[in-house]
Amino acid sequence: MKLNSRKKKRSRVLQTTRKIGELIVNYFSKAWDVKTQDKPVAWITVFTPVELLYALDVYPIAPEHFGALCSARGTILDYLKEAEKEGYSQDLCSYSRCCLGYALSGLNGPMPAPDMLVTFRNACDVYVKWWQSLHIHLGTPMFIGEAPYVLTYDDLNNYVLDYVVKQLEQLIELTQNKFGVKLDMEKLVNAVNLSDKASELWLQTLKLRRVRPCPLGGRDSASDIFPLVVMQGTEEAVEFYDELLAEVRDRVKRKEGVIEKEEFRLMFDGIWLWHAFDIIKYFEDKGAVFVHEPYSEAWAFRLDSSKPLESIARKVLSMGLNTDIDLRMEKFADTIEDYHIDGAILFSNRSCKSWSAPQLVTAETLNNQLNIPYLMFEGDMADPRQYSEAQVKGRIDAFMEMLSES
Amino acid sequence: MQIQRKMREFSRDPTSLLRRHNDGEAKVVGYMCSGIPEEIIIAAGLQPYRISNIGEHTSSLTPSFICPFASAVLENILRLEDLFQGFIVAHTCDPMWRIFDILKKKVNKPLFFLRVPHNTKNELSFDFMRMEFRRLKMFLERNFVTEINNNSLQSAIELCNHTRDLLRNIYLLNRNNEYKVKASDYFSLVLASAWMSKQEFNALVEASEFGSGKGQGNIRLHVNGTAIYDLNLITVIEDSGGFVVSDDLCTGSRYFWDNVEPSQDPLSALTSRYLTRTPCPAQNPLDDRLRYLSDMVASFNARGVITYAEKFCDPILYDFVHIRNKLASDGIPSLLVDYESPTQEINRIRNRVEAFIETLGD
Repeated sequence: MKLNSRKKKRSRVLQTTRKIGELIVNYFSKAWDVKTQDKPVAWITVFTPVELLYALDVYPIAPEHFGALCSARGTILDYLKEAEKEGYSQDLCSYSRCCLGYALSGLNGPMPAPDMLVTFRNACDVYVKWWQSLHIHLGTPMFIGEAPYVLTYDDLNNYVLDYVVKQLEQLIELTQNKFGVKLDMEKLVNAVNLSDKASELWLQTLKLRRVRPCPLGGRDSASDIFPLVVMQGTEEAVEFYDELLAEVRDRVKRKEGVIEKEEFRLMFDGIWLWHAFDIIKYFEDKGAVFVHEPYSEAWAFRLDSSKPLESIARKVLSMGLNTDIDLRMEKFADTIEDYHIDGAILFSNRSCKSWSAPQLVTAETLNNQLNIPYLMFEGDMADPRQYSEAQVKGRIDAFMEMLSES
Repeated sequence: MQIQRKMREFSRDPTSLLRRHNDGEAKVVGYMCSGIPEEIIIAAGLQPYRISNIGEHTSSLTPSFICPFASAVLENILRLEDLFQGFIVAHTCDPMWRIFDILKKKVNKPLFFLRVPHNTKNELSFDFMRMEFRRLKMFLERNFVTEINNNSLQSAIELCNHTRDLLRNIYLLNRNNEYKVKASDYFSLVLASAWMSKQEFNALVEASEFGSGKGQGNIRLHVNGTAIYDLNLITVIEDSGGFVVSDDLCTGSRYFWDNVEPSQDPLSALTSRYLTRTPCPAQNPLDDRLRYLSDMVASFNARGVITYAEKFCDPILYDFVHIRNKLASDGIPSLLVDYESPTQEINRIRNRVEAFIETLGD
């Protein structure tokens, strides 16, 4: 039987995942409450130490998350066009164009104006250029931290680590001086503990995806990361992951998978296509479930509250894209075995050059050394104009045919 | 004029120089960025050689939306690997960072990744960068069984400073509203200085005379961008009635403008020079870069600025918005010209440059 002639299958999104929408609404509404109370709001790039900001009573907002949200809700184009009108090229990161467009069009929306701009160059160098641009347009004070590329694990204990720890100390000093606040160590330890707990719960949940049938799919993981992006160090995040783990455990116990008949287990390498989210369901309708994404795992990092700053510095350094390609490939190899992966989908994302640039070499490793077939397609994570749905779905059809025949 | 002709020949076929180094049994270490301290390579008894995009198109190993310059450089490295003993990659922008990843999987020569701080003004950046230079020194010592000491570093610094002095003196001939040296000539000199041995280059330049260039009456322009190896991008300006008087290119003044100051600790002196040199588009603070650009435009009496942007070059494409706005507030018009392949797009580029120069002449 031809795969594309199959009837659409029922696939299940977790009940806990459905709560993400409410969490996001509350999160942004709280940002406005904070602003109304004259407390500081920081715009951050993701993989910036939010635990530290919470401990300093600074409310963090991630414009990358806002970009994903606007893309998913179909409201991104106005912001993109606003940035492009100012002269920002369509070849630049769509998250940054969305954010710059939002800033240039009067900051009318869920993100209150920032009192501070904080970034650490770890996922990409675009952060530096984006934040400079925001700083010039808004005139807001800015902190640009550097998390050097981790070449070996030694860097997590040598002068590279010291460099990041000292920058965290600078960030604390800058924030204290700017807003007249004082870092409360007890609060920091508490935030670090809560962040660690949320990470632990999420990692345990992800581990359960090794089970057949897989209890948590791509549509869940893509949404479920939200609390780890901007709410690390809060009780709400821990509560969410506690509940999620319980539901996933229950599914495992009942041997209930994401789809009725799980035929293929896939890995997704890249950021999700927020404007074309149904692509995940398209795979599921063909009997394929996503069981692993480096993107989902990137947000979790175990912290040690006895050395909070060191621990946070290691986290800032260790985010997936900031670790050496050999270390990343080693992880790929382990994952493929542990999660029983049949094939890999590599999303060549026009907006994320840092992720996409070495992907053809990644693909070679997958194919030649790990014997994993792959499909690579091009598009943009947030800009729907840079994506051809029919073309991509045609290629997915061909890939799934190939998988079913092998 | 003989030297200019010679240099232009080199800039058309730099591989001939690379082969000459190999014939002379020099050990050649390739690098791509003007932020790499050549002095440390020279102090190790090795020949630094700046790898360009000349002769190659984009690589099949990178996606279509990656900076075509970086991609072509990658291809040149892979094609010419046998002529090198090692490579040094600097972490400036995302494509260069990831080229290191790809090279790690593709080349069999010693490979070094220099982690350059993106925030040059942070007081912590000095110590970090010095540690990275120290790591580079140790990498060269270990892989090429050599010792780099303070004396060899001091000599290399003096040698490179002398090259910079020579280049800067020629460059400064165009100041005070003068039209002494054509940019296509001095850019080919700058390129040759990054390909030849510094001793040979210095001797050649010292034996030559500069300053008889013509161009009086043409529109004085500043060129902004990253690395330009295809000098047709410069001659197209000259042919259109422009006269390039200043630049902030990685293959121009950014490479030679600042000297290394004397110090008891050469590694610290190098760190200081490379951290505070002409601002790089990939680094922070941008204000320094905007100020530098305005200052260059003012001191060389440029009437307009042309920004050359490789397609998909993030640093230049973000900066352009702010450069345009800053120059507009200074009353200086600017033009952005983006391209993937200058050779194939030269007529389109010529039309845009001509139109811009015409508006300035009115």
